[in-house]
Amino acid sequence: MAMDASYGDEFAVGCFISIKTALGDEFEGQIISFDRLSNMLVLQEGSKTGPRRNIRLLQANYIKEFTILGQAEDPLDLKKCYLDLASLQAREEAAIRQAEMEAERIGVGVTSDAQRIFDALSKTLPVHWDKTVIMVMSEVRVCSPYLPENVTGGTPAANDRVKKVVMHIDTRI
Amino acid sequence: MSLQQVVQPRPSANGFGRRRVEREMGSRLDSKPHSGKSNPNSFTIAGAPNGSKVGGYESPSRDWLIYLTTCLIGHHVEVQVKNGSSFSGIFHATNAEKDYGVILKMARLIKDGSFRGQKSLSESIGKPPSKTLIIPAKELVQIIAKGVPLSGDGLANGLQCEKRKDIMIDSLISHSHHVDVQRELERWTPVEDDLQLPELENIFDNPWNRNWDQFETNEALFGVKSTFDEELYTTKLERGPKMRELEREASRIAREIEGEETLDLHLAEERGFCFHEDFDIDEETRFSSVFRGVDDSGYEESEDTTLDSRNTETFGGSSGTVISRSFSDVARGRTDGAQASSSSLSMDEAQSSQSIASKDLHRLSSIDHAKQLTSDCVSKSGKSRMHENQFREQHGGKSYSTESTERKICRVGEETQTSKSEDKVGLSPSATAFAPSSSVSSKGQENASLVGSSDSIGAGTIKAVNSRGRSGSSTSSTSEFVAAPSASSGPGLSPSSSVGSLSSEKSSLNPNAKEFKLNPNAKSFMPSQTPLRPPSPVSEGSFYFPANVSAVPHMHTVPVGIGIAPSFGHQPVIYNPQATPVQSPQPYVHPNGPLYGQQMILGHPRQVLYMPSYPQASFGPAKLPP
Repeated sequence: MAMDASYGDEFAVGCFISIKTALGDEFEGQIISFDRLSNMLVLQEGSKTGPRRNIRLLQANYIKEFTILGQAEDPLDLKKCYLDLASLQAREEAAIRQAEMEAERIGVGVTSDAQRIFDALSKTLPVHWDKTVIMVMSEVRVCSPYLPENVTGGTPAANDRVKKVVMHIDTRI
Repeated sequence: MSLQQVVQPRPSANGFGRRRVEREMGSRLDSKPHSGKSNPNSFTIAGAPNGSKVGGYESPSRDWLIYLTTCLIGHHVEVQVKNGSSFSGIFHATNAEKDYGVILKMARLIKDGSFRGQKSLSESIGKPPSKTLIIPAKELVQIIAKGVPLSGDGLANGLQCEKRKDIMIDSLISHSHHVDVQRELERWTPVEDDLQLPELENIFDNPWNRNWDQFETNEALFGVKSTFDEELYTTKLERGPKMRELEREASRIAREIEGEETLDLHLAEERGFCFHEDFDIDEETRFSSVFRGVDDSGYEESEDTTLDSRNTETFGGSSGTVISRSFSDVARGRTDGAQASSSSLSMDEAQSSQSIASKDLHRLSSIDHAKQLTSDCVSKSGKSRMHENQFREQHGGKSYSTESTERKICRVGEETQTSKSEDKVGLSPSATAFAPSSSVSSKGQENASLVGSSDSIGAGTIKAVNSRGRSGSSTSSTSEFVAAPSASSGPGLSPSSSVGSLSSEKSSLNPNAKEFKLNPNAKSFMPSQTPLRPPSPVSEGSFYFPANVSAVPHMHTVPVGIGIAPSFGHQPVIYNPQATPVQSPQPYVHPNGPLYGQQMILGHPRQVLYMPSYPQASFGPAKLPP
C-alpha cells in the first residue's frame, strides 16, 4: 500500500492521478481533497461539465498503485461553495419517496420475466404485488407463470381485459 | 456537523441483511444526545471537544471532506465494500468523526463480490431494497456518485430539479428509472443564418416572380384546363388610348392613398408606419379589430347614425360616412352622395379626370397633424395648391391631445392660403369648389347644399369622423371624399352625376338647402381629447410574470463558509419538532435549528402555494375590458 504517498496527497489538491485499487478498479481523476484522518481521498472524475461532477471517495488504504499524471488548479471554486441544508433534506426526502415507490413495484423473489410482465401490466393497469402474485385492480390475480390462463378472479369483464393484456405481452416478448 | 452522526442501527424493513458492525460505534455515539441542546460534540469541526477523538486534524481538508460529503446527501451513490460488493442507494449520512462509515437509504446490492459475480443482476433486483444500510468504515472502499452538484449554481439548479420532481408529474410516475436533469431552457433568438432562408422569404412575393405557374402545371400534369375569365367577375375594361391615362391616374391615386399617413392604427401598420414611442397602446388596440371608439365630438346630432352605419357596412366606413355626414347634415336629406361618392371612388379609374382636383396635391401631413381634406379649386385650376380642411381626428394616441382642429378655407378665386393655425371653421363659398371641373356654379350649388353652414359642416365632418364606426383613416376618407367629386367628371354636376355613376335609392341633395355663407364669427372647433379607448386595465399585469416564484428558493440558501469554524458553531443541533413536515422519521440529528426549521416549514407550503399563483398570472392579457 502506498501509504506514504497517500499522505502526500493532501498537498496535491488539483492533481491528476491514475489509481489502481486493491479490488481491481482502475480510474483517473483529479484530487479534490484528501482527509488524512479518515484516509479518504476525494476525486473528481470526468471532464468538468458545469456544476455537476462525478465524485469518487476512495479509502486510500485500498490504493494499490497510482501515478500522478499532472497538476492543475483546484477544481473547486471556494467562493461558490455553499450548502443549502434545507434543499439537501428535501432532495433526500424526494429521493427516498421515489425509491420507495419504485421498490413497491418490484416483486420479491420473482423472476425477471415476472417482473417484466408486471411492468408491462403496470403501464395500463393498476397493479401491485402480492407475494409473487400480480394483483390487478385488486381483484384479478395473475400467478406464475403469468400466462393468460393464469389470470383468475375478478369480474368477467376485468378478467377478460387482463387476459388480453397478458396475451399481448406474451406475443410481444 | 450533526448530519454525520451515526445513530444506533435500526432494524431493516425488509428481509435483506444489513451490516451491523456499527453496533459498538452506535453505542458509543449513544452518549451523544441527538435531540439535545446545541452541544458541540456533534461538530467535527470547530474544535469540538466532546467526543472528538481527533486532536489537531487538518481543518481545511477535513472541512472539504465534510463539505463534499454533505453535498452527497440525498444523492444516489454506489458504495463498494471490501469484499467487492457494491451497494446502490441514497446517501444519507456518514460518520466522519474518525473513520468514514456511511449510511445509505433504500440500498440494494448491485454487485455481489462474495460469489465473484456469479449472481445475475436480475436476481438481485428481485430483492427489496433495505430501508437503511449502514456500512462501517472498515468495510468501505469507495463511494461513487455521479452528477453531484458541488458549487452554488449546481445546488440551485438541483433544488429546482428536486422541486420539480416533488410535483409528481405523469412522466415521473410512469418512469421507473430516473429522468434526466431538466435542460436549461433558453429563449429562442433568431440566429443570423436563420434569416437567410430564401424560400420562406419569397413565398408571398408577387406571382410573377415565382417560377411556377400552377395552372400550367395543372394542365400539364392532369389536363385540367382553366376556364377562368376575368371579365366574368369584373367590369370589362376597354383598352384604348384613354386607358393608359386612366390607369396612370388610378395608380397615382392609389399610391397617394396608400402613402398617406393615417390615424388609424391598423391602417398605419399596414402601410408600414411606425408608432410613436409615447403611444400608450397595448396589444389590443394595435391588433384587435374591435372598435372601441369614444365619440367625443360632443355633438349629439345623432341623425343618420343609421345612415352612417349602413354606409359603414357597405363601404367599409370611412369615405361613405364622411361624405354622407356632410351631405346629410346640410341637406337634411338622405343623400346618396355618400354612397355614390364612395362608390365613385372605385370608379376612379373609369372616370378620370380632367378633374383638376384629382391632380391636386394631397399634402401629406405628418402624423401629428390633423388630416387634410383635399379640396379643389376649380377656378384656380392653375393653382395646384390644395386647400384643405383639416379636422381633428379621433385617435387613441396621446399625441393628438394638443392638436386642434384646423380649418382651411378654400377660396375659389382668391389667394389660396393654407394656414394651419387658422381656426376658422367652415368653408368659404369658394370652398364649394369641392368638386372640380367646369361647372362651378353647379358645383357651388352643390356645395352650397353640401355645406350649409360652417358650423354644421364642421360639426358634420367632425361628427362624421368621430362617430365613424371604424377608426378608419380620416385621411383616406377625406381624400376619397375629394376624389370622389373630383373624379366625377362632366359638367352640370347634379348630385347624382357629380358623385359618380352610381345611383342609389337615396334621394339626391336637398335642393332647398341654404347656400353656404361663411360665418366669420364662427367658433373654431376644438374637440376635447379623449383616448380612443380606455387603456386595457391589465396591460401591465398581463405581461407580468411572477418572477418571485423562482426567487424564492434562493432564500433558503444559507451560505456556509467552509473552514469558518464559528459558522458551524451557530448552528444548533436541536432537532426541532416544528420542522415536522420535512423531518425524516429516523432520530438522526438534523441540522434543524429553529432558524432552519422555520424556513423548512415555509419551504413546503410554499411549494404548494406556487400552484395557485400560476393560473392567475402569465396568461394573456384580458382581451375584453368592460
